[in-house]
Amino acid sequence: MSHPSARQLLEAVQLFLKEAEAALPQRLGFHAKVAGNVLAIVARELEADPDSAEQAALSAFGGAAGACAGLREGSLSPADPALLAALTRAAVARLDVDNPRYPTLARLKEQP
Amino acid sequence: MATRPATAEGRETLSMLDPAGAAGREALALALGQALGAPVAIRDVVALSGGANSATWRVDAETESPEGPASRRFIFQRSANALGLPRRVQAEVMRRAAGLGVPVPPVIAVPAPETGLGDSVITGFVEGEALAPRWLRDDRYAAAREALALQCGTALARLHGAPRSHWDGLPLASGSGSELLSNLFATYRRIGVDVPAFDLAFAWLRPRMPDRSPTCLVHGDFRSGNILVGPDGLTAVLDWELPHHSVPEEDLGWLCVQAWRFGAWQKPVGGFAAREALLSAYRAAGGTVEADSLWTWEVFGNLKWGMSCLQLADDHVSGRVPSVERAAIGRRVSEVAADLVHAIARGDL
Repeated sequence: MSHPSARQLLEAVQLFLKEAEAALPQRLGFHAKVAGNVLAIVARELEADPDSAEQAALSAFGGAAGACAGLREGSLSPADPALLAALTRAAVARLDVDNPRYPTLARLKEQP
Repeated sequence: MATRPATAEGRETLSMLDPAGAAGREALALALGQALGAPVAIRDVVALSGGANSATWRVDAETESPEGPASRRFIFQRSANALGLPRRVQAEVMRRAAGLGVPVPPVIAVPAPETGLGDSVITGFVEGEALAPRWLRDDRYAAAREALALQCGTALARLHGAPRSHWDGLPLASGSGSELLSNLFATYRRIGVDVPAFDLAFAWLRPRMPDRSPTCLVHGDFRSGNILVGPDGLTAVLDWELPHHSVPEEDLGWLCVQAWRFGAWQKPVGGFAAREALLSAYRAAGGTVEADSLWTWEVFGNLKWGMSCLQLADDHVSGRVPSVERAAIGRRVSEVAADLVHAIARGDL
């Protein structure tokens, strides 16, 4: 391929932000670091599709909107083991993209 | 010269003096001189931190004393908007908390509106590390971390042990646990997004949050990021911006929220202790609390933090406060969602 992919463009901006972070005054430098983290999320989201993964995990309950409505109306119980297992899969799918190093992620992936 | 203070996100603020500028220093010297009853010369004003709601400066001054000139340090703190409790009320809560034996920075002065210093307070400078990740990780604070559960449990028991009359005359909010939960749910629906783990937590909490009337004053934001820690432990409880009438478990549970453990999740109390250590310290100092109800409020605290993430993200998404920082915080909702699912599905966090 002769032109950089979306992923490669992101990597280029991430490199630039790293450079900028060191050169910028404190507050802007911090924002450059945050911006770099945001791009890392975007890069992971290009690979995975957390919205679809969440919908798939909760399909038996009408997807995310259905699960939310059921819990709000009381037709779903917060003690339902199948619902808790599905919510665990949904939470894992999102966190894999948003912060794969978050300690609770590894704990949720362990069998209870 | 009146300038716009350096607030985090350029939110509209009243015109106030820059405390580091010439006129600001003059106003500070005047306010301090009046409070101390002696002339004060300002040597330096250093910005320490600026958030969306509040900004803090260190003030190095020279005061006259019977023994001759003395160097003294102060903290100048002011609100960046009119959303919170007035500083005059916060200062009065701090004075009365100090009277109960809670370690708080001594209140020196609450500058009057005509000083141009804004809604602000001047306190004494207390030694200690404010950055929790530093005192949670650094070897120099190993002994401090050992001592903190006892010190925090004791400080909270003293605060909560005061009769309601101790806070007479102060315009402070009051509400039961179930009212706090309904308010949080109303905010959730106003933002209008669907986070399944949040609805799980609301459904789990609804039958558990107590209806009983408030029994005490709570600090309202007692966490590892809001205390000062020295080599021997707690030196001061900071940020008295959210005190209100509630039940003791609100403060105790909030201190256990995952976000304030800064990665040290094995130590549920602020990343430095086990829950049992906090509970036994709290009881030894005369407080009454049950482990079950602490757990309910800990889950509530995590949900409340998740709702803060959602609200900060909504500031960006709605266009009110465009900010990369707030946009990024929106994705921390996933962290809290995972914590809530873990807490409810597995009974611990």
